[in-house]
Amino acid sequence: MLSFILIPLALIGGVTLAVQSCINGRLGSAVGTLATAWLTFVLGALISVLLVLFVQVPQETSLLEAPRWQLTGAFFGVFYIVAMVFSVPLIGIAAATVAVVAGQLTMGLLIDNFAWLGNQAYPLDGQRWGAIFLLLAAIALIYIGNRKRELANQKIDKS
Amino acid sequence: MTQILTLLVVFVAGMGLSVEAGLLGPLGENVGHMSATLCIFLVGSLLLSLALVFARHRALPEMFAQPRWMLTGGVLGPVYVVIITTVTPLIGVGTTMVAILFGQVASGLALDHFGAFGVPRQRVDLYRLGALALIAAALILTR
Repeated sequence: MLSFILIPLALIGGVTLAVQSCINGRLGSAVGTLATAWLTFVLGALISVLLVLFVQVPQETSLLEAPRWQLTGAFFGVFYIVAMVFSVPLIGIAAATVAVVAGQLTMGLLIDNFAWLGNQAYPLDGQRWGAIFLLLAAIALIYIGNRKRELANQKIDKS
Repeated sequence: MTQILTLLVVFVAGMGLSVEAGLLGPLGENVGHMSATLCIFLVGSLLLSLALVFARHRALPEMFAQPRWMLTGGVLGPVYVVIITTVTPLIGVGTTMVAILFGQVASGLALDHFGAFGVPRQRVDLYRLGALALIAAALILTR
């Protein structure tokens, strides 16, 4: 029942991600990925501080009392940014996108299946295997589409 | 060889994004969703500030000379992270990732189609439309 609200919410999350990468893509091509990522994180931190101070209901546990390993999320995010900066010129955006999405989905399903990191278990049942096959096909289509676009852009650059 | 190695690194980086979401969910339940979001952006800002100090190219002066709308992308970040933190513990990391992927591909199509934010206009192509339909079906299955 709850998923009728939560899945659309996650969809909106995807939309913000696409709009953000659109704007950041423009900024990135002007000033570089590192400065762009820095600004994104600093603005994010500023807004989060305001949210914590004025919106969030007071909590029993503070960030400083949480187990340290739970605080390491940002390292993965920053590693992702650095990896993309170095990889996209080597393998192209089409292949990079596919590899990221594949990694994301693989790990997401593994965490769900084994209930890692203190998450609830969602076992890999027949339905989830079916979803994996559909997603593989979707990733293949995205790759082909992106690749065609890349080739077309290269042609424009040359002429 | 370099290509395969690079692909592998990017694959691992993608796995990292799910680990990040997997860490965020329980942390948010523990200390509050907004504190968990703060943790991501604060630690990330510190790491990137360090990187910026030692970066070869000094890009900050140029950055603040850009048109202002180009500097607003970061405002959307907390929206995204608060959403993941809230949603992940309730529907699982896998389903969250599939739903986000759908939102991303769908709005990517729309943004390209209308040429929003100065991206070159690209008509909706059948590949990505097909991918979108498959992702929707996968979302229904994982739910």
